[in-house]
Amino acid sequence: MIDSSPLYDLIVRLLPFDAFQARFMQQALVGLILIAPISAALGVHVVNFRMSFFADAIGHSAFAGVALGLIFSVSPRWTMPIFGLLVGLGIMALQRRSALSSDTVIGVVFAAVMAFGLAMVSRVQGVARDLQRFLYGDILTITNADILGLAALGVLIFAFQIWGYNRLLYISLTPVVAKAHRVQVATYQYLFAGLLALVVMFSVWAVGVLLVTALLIVPAATARNLARSAGALFWWAMGLSTTSAVIGLWISAQDWARTATGPTVIMVGVVGFIISQIVVMVHKQPQ
Amino acid sequence: MPSLDPHNTARPSQPAGGNLALTFSHISVSLGGVSILDDVSASVPCGECVAVVGPNGAGKTTLLLALLNQVPYQGNIHIFATSGGRVPRLGYVPQRLQFDRGLPLTVTDFLVMGSQRRPLWLGVKAAHRDRARALLTSVGADTLERRLIGALSGGELQRVLLALALQQDPDLLVLDEPTAGVDLRGGSLFCELLDRLRRERGFTQLMVSHDLATVTHHASHVILLNRRVAAEGLPKEVLTPAHLSAVFGLHMGLADAHALPGEQATCTATCTAACCRGERHD
Repeated sequence: MIDSSPLYDLIVRLLPFDAFQARFMQQALVGLILIAPISAALGVHVVNFRMSFFADAIGHSAFAGVALGLIFSVSPRWTMPIFGLLVGLGIMALQRRSALSSDTVIGVVFAAVMAFGLAMVSRVQGVARDLQRFLYGDILTITNADILGLAALGVLIFAFQIWGYNRLLYISLTPVVAKAHRVQVATYQYLFAGLLALVVMFSVWAVGVLLVTALLIVPAATARNLARSAGALFWWAMGLSTTSAVIGLWISAQDWARTATGPTVIMVGVVGFIISQIVVMVHKQPQ
Repeated sequence: MPSLDPHNTARPSQPAGGNLALTFSHISVSLGGVSILDDVSASVPCGECVAVVGPNGAGKTTLLLALLNQVPYQGNIHIFATSGGRVPRLGYVPQRLQFDRGLPLTVTDFLVMGSQRRPLWLGVKAAHRDRARALLTSVGADTLERRLIGALSGGELQRVLLALALQQDPDLLVLDEPTAGVDLRGGSLFCELLDRLRRERGFTQLMVSHDLATVTHHASHVILLNRRVAAEGLPKEVLTPAHLSAVFGLHMGLADAHALPGEQATCTATCTAACCRGERHD
């Protein structure tokens, strides 16, 4: 195992708050600082592609992923991401072939994976605690191994963002023109769906299934309100998500708050969105 | 599904009377059990301005979508290699693009996203910015550089989309209803712009339109379509009252008699911007 102590010592020096003195808080902070920008980077495209329902369905397939882990006695840490990946690619394949609208396709898959997950979980005793964890997440119990996994995922996502950001914009704006102009539309769509599924499953760990979509969408939505170019859009989303993660974690640890970390992070993000919305309304030129 | 065939340099199927850019052979398209195109065979001569005309619902756009591999079709679409033996590049200008107008994307971003690999969040390279500027200048849209694409008017967006297609350095430029959504003057100006670009760059132009008045004055080859090919050839041979009333129906035939007073008969294969400077009397 890689020794991460120097990293945590650095955090204590950079953020000398009482809240960040405990090791589990430092781990939570590192976890969030990884998850937040990763989600925001993909979230920019989720908003462009109007795929928030897709992300939601993947998040909810976590239940079925856990159920499969219980059935086959495999750690849900493996079955969750693998099952999420399969669901994501499956929805994309169905969408591309079916005459049904994409929200209908997703709705059907959503219902199927939820029902399967809940049915399986209901047969097993003593998983109520686990269920709660998947609903609300628990970043405070993140382990060193999780952090290393997240870091690896982060490298993958940012490599993809460097290689494919412009083409993803192209496809989300006008897929037919992009295809006519020799962009490999299907390749990018499948790659994006697969990576999104992986990120959603890891985010379920941190903020819980109910808030995964928020982590993807809220910073990207705020960034849209504030950015004036495609480059700025990305940086705003990065900055906003990381800031709300750090502030949210800090607030959740204060004596006057003592709230669950995931929802607190999202609430901070939503406050940012409300402010951006006010900025937009104030700055809007009367036509 | 049949698709573009790049291995065709040695094909002996070039007919007498000039090179061809592409041929449609026995194209049939049915969507949901409804026949939209029925055994359509037509050819597009190289370097010319080819207009596919026909009434609403004639399958004009579907023919383009088949060419772009966006709908399943029966038959064969053959795109001939360029004189240099290269697979031809295609540029596509869609009709009235429906897109996400809330996306904060400048016109420069919009052009660069198709050409530059480096992500836009790491900046635009000077070479790509210059290229985008040159393209915008060539379509008369250089003042739009810093505007957000969501804030463009229909005519402005059309020019930016044309610039995006020209960025492909196309051998074949495909346009869907280039004069839809702009007024008569705007449509005519856009067609003159296309004529000039075609002369400068030497691409083949294939456009679809239901607007006979503006577009066919710029076309040198017309395909009259109404689920089947009703007629094909020079404008003066195709756009006869007999053909038009057969395809557009009696009422349209009469309307055309007003809209195209005599001019259509004088419009020949060499018709360029010059013949459109004449005043219209309608």
